[in-house]
Amino acid sequence: MTLRWIRTRPSWQVTLGAALLALGFLIAAQLSSEGPRVRYTTQERTPLLETAAELQSQQDDLRARILQLRSQIQDVESRGAGSADLVRQLNDGLEQARIAAGLIPLTGTGIVLQLEDSQQPVPPDGSQSDYLVGSRDIRTIVQALWLAGAEAIAVNDERVTPTTAIIDIGSSLLVNSAYLAPPYQVTALGPADLYQRLSASPGFIDFVRARAEGYGIRLSFAEPPSVDVPAFVGTVTLRYSRPIASPAATPAPSGN
Amino acid sequence: MRRRSSQLTIAAVAVALGLLVVVQLRSQAGVGGGLAQLSAQDLTALVANQNARNDQLRGEVSSLERELGTLNQNAARGEVSVDELRSELSRIRAYAGLDPVGGPGVTISISGPIDGFGVEELINELRNAGAEAIGIGGVRVVTGVVVTGAPGEVAVDGTRLGDSFELAAIGASDKLTGSLTRSGGIIAQLAATEPDVTVTVTPVDRIELPATIRDLVPAHGRPRL
Repeated sequence: MTLRWIRTRPSWQVTLGAALLALGFLIAAQLSSEGPRVRYTTQERTPLLETAAELQSQQDDLRARILQLRSQIQDVESRGAGSADLVRQLNDGLEQARIAAGLIPLTGTGIVLQLEDSQQPVPPDGSQSDYLVGSRDIRTIVQALWLAGAEAIAVNDERVTPTTAIIDIGSSLLVNSAYLAPPYQVTALGPADLYQRLSASPGFIDFVRARAEGYGIRLSFAEPPSVDVPAFVGTVTLRYSRPIASPAATPAPSGN
Repeated sequence: MRRRSSQLTIAAVAVALGLLVVVQLRSQAGVGGGLAQLSAQDLTALVANQNARNDQLRGEVSSLERELGTLNQNAARGEVSVDELRSELSRIRAYAGLDPVGGPGVTISISGPIDGFGVEELINELRNAGAEAIGIGGVRVVTGVVVTGAPGEVAVDGTRLGDSFELAAIGASDKLTGSLTRSGGIIAQLAATEPDVTVTVTPVDRIELPATIRDLVPAHGRPRL
């Protein structure tokens, strides 16, 4: 193939030009769809990224193992049921305590709220983080849901328990120390009129006004026939707290 | 003929390039499920958090493995594991807030025009620092308990807390104190936005927190099998 040959056949150039144009368009479209969250491309991040991905996969394995062990334990425990009143009572107590602690996945009536970053352009004097969904937004929604009568809540796959912290990491979230990326889905189990109660609550109205109307945070909701809330997969072993024997607690907790 | 085949070649190259670009971008976006958008500093924090969490999960795995082992041994001998059931019940009830608990931790005296959301921010920070059990104004903070109210009028579970009140948390008192009082931390932020609010953290050897009076078993959900 010689240069002369190319010159005499401009359609070759046209095709190449079109292909390059398409490529450029593709790249630009891809980059713009990545949005404001892509900010860093330095090389020293690569080993950190690999470590984080590796730890995440270890975490997934550990979670799977915990769920497996729990179900085996419940299996053995329930086989002992019926043998004595005391054992039956203990097993019933365990079932109720596990539900109360969030260790049992639940299904029932409820709603799902989805929060996504704003698509509005950030004004020159504005702060980009105001246009992203942050931990404060999720905490506000979770609190408003509790107050509206929600009985169990999960953010993506993380169940909200008495020890759950929701914090920012970069422009993503850690919930129960698990890394969550947007979009965030807050699933709440509760009474059939949960959404009516939520949308009438001052906390939720303030949130919509400030965040959705103010900054374009995208908030959508679904009310499926039933919602599923996953079990908390984490430790329930307290290292510093010891139960205090109380006459109110039945059956009486034994010392560890 | 020659012209046609060269055009075909170019078309094939362009298609391959396009595919490559898409695959490459997809794979970059997919690393660790969106981790790619974190800065080196955020990644370092994430790795520290993941390490701590994985250690906890490993601890939980070994404690569950022990428990299962004992249950199976006893079952093989035809015995019922009453002690194991009791200790498991006690462990879970303490975690959920169904039993009163005691242990070391911190008390946090709060006075001035703080609002419910401000108190919730403190509670979130305590949980992030590893608080195991939290109480406020004599109420155990369990799932579903929210501190509400305008500045100076905070309430928990419908009970007004007054102008000054106490938050208490059980956990590693040095870690809880350090996390709340570090520079740029939650108390520093509060001081900057609400200068009239006073927050004092005191490490304590022993705190006792009551059980919740709430029924924590959902009325609108059932176990999903």
